[in-house]
Amino acid sequence: MSSVAEAVRDGVLPGRVWLYANYHCNLACTYCLTESDPRAERRELGEQRMLTLARQAAELGFSALGVTGGEPFLLPYLPELLAKLAAILPLVCLSNGTVFTERRLERLRPLAELPAQIQVSLDRPEPEANDAMRGPENFRKVVDAIPRLVERGVRVRIATTVATVDDEERERLCRLHRRLGVPDTDHVIRPIVRRGRAVDHDLGVDAGPAELPAELTITTDGAFWSPFGPTVHGGRLDTDLLITRTTLPLRVPAAALLRLVQARPPGTDAQLNIQ
Amino acid sequence: MSGVRLVEAGQAPLLARPYYASGDPGAIVAALAHVPEVLEVAMPFIATTLGASAIDERTKELVILRTSARLGCRYCTQTHTVAACDTGLSRAEIAALRGETPVDGAFANPRELALLAWTDAVAIGPGPVPPATRAALLAQFEDPEVVELTLLVAATVMLNRFCTALELPTSPKMLRRLTAEGWT
Repeated sequence: MSSVAEAVRDGVLPGRVWLYANYHCNLACTYCLTESDPRAERRELGEQRMLTLARQAAELGFSALGVTGGEPFLLPYLPELLAKLAAILPLVCLSNGTVFTERRLERLRPLAELPAQIQVSLDRPEPEANDAMRGPENFRKVVDAIPRLVERGVRVRIATTVATVDDEERERLCRLHRRLGVPDTDHVIRPIVRRGRAVDHDLGVDAGPAELPAELTITTDGAFWSPFGPTVHGGRLDTDLLITRTTLPLRVPAAALLRLVQARPPGTDAQLNIQ
Repeated sequence: MSGVRLVEAGQAPLLARPYYASGDPGAIVAALAHVPEVLEVAMPFIATTLGASAIDERTKELVILRTSARLGCRYCTQTHTVAACDTGLSRAEIAALRGETPVDGAFANPRELALLAWTDAVAIGPGPVPPATRAALLAQFEDPEVVELTLLVAATVMLNRFCTALELPTSPKMLRRLTAEGWT
């Protein structure tokens, strides 16, 4: 068993490897970590490289994959690629949930038979508050898309990213996601992280290696500590959470991440559970 | 203005952070920090090759400053002029190493003259080192010393070309030291 596999088995290293499929997006959310929008530099990893990374992740002993962006579903090959990736390792793919046409939904049907989830962003239980951060018509499109994924057997997880949420609003949000077919166990609420566009709007909490799980994250620019690592601010990539520029072979950044994790003084892995 | 953006402390990648812990890490580190996995292996190599070792400090500084001056590296020549002052080399010796005066006017020790001839030949090339130059060196140094000194020349050339190509800026603190010592 490799040292990485042992570290994953022992809980020293999180098992999920994140792949930033792209950085461009049809939305331009207020708190976006990557300053994504339709004109953002695409930074597209590419289908073959993502498959290679997934295979090497499995060989090294990682236990799961995450696919994120930008909006990954802007990539025309994504539905079929997700099925191939999920055949290698269990998978979650993040999406803003606004680009699911009927055709695209049909192409996602095979995921129902695979260990795969689509994680959709939904921040508030009412359209006005939700769309204030995520753009016009966002709420309507998301609450339309989720049941249509669920009825095709695709597992859906909902991620709520907010600065604060009171108990009453949380309860309204939970009633909404249950109504849409998503159980409580598939709903995660997390704080806004003060990186990317959130900095300009004075939003979010500061988060570094002490707060963020050490999830190996691969982009076209390199390997990072956490999917909250490869952020963009003022058009420039942040490198404070960069591990290596080398991404392949994956064992290079994996070994470097493991060294960093093992070098931490005891007790410094306290986290704010930012996932 | 350097040829590449120098990585500032707030953007230092995780593997680079130890080098920033005590303040400004210098331009070489701030450039290498763009590729942290290279920085991680390059700096120990540089520190071992150019730093304290079985070869005494004066001898190493002769090689480093001479190589840097012959390669026309402003950054390294300035930095190691200051290092040479701190090591105790005389003004005449430093001027000769920098190519401002003939070497045999400042150095009389056959061991050091042989080393400087070897340094020039290895640093500049091209092609094989003249047999007579090698023979003079081998008459003064043991094999382990020859190996270490030759690698020192080569490593200094590597750094000279890196610093020159990227136009790395000499730090203001170093420039003030140079001025104070009467050098440019």
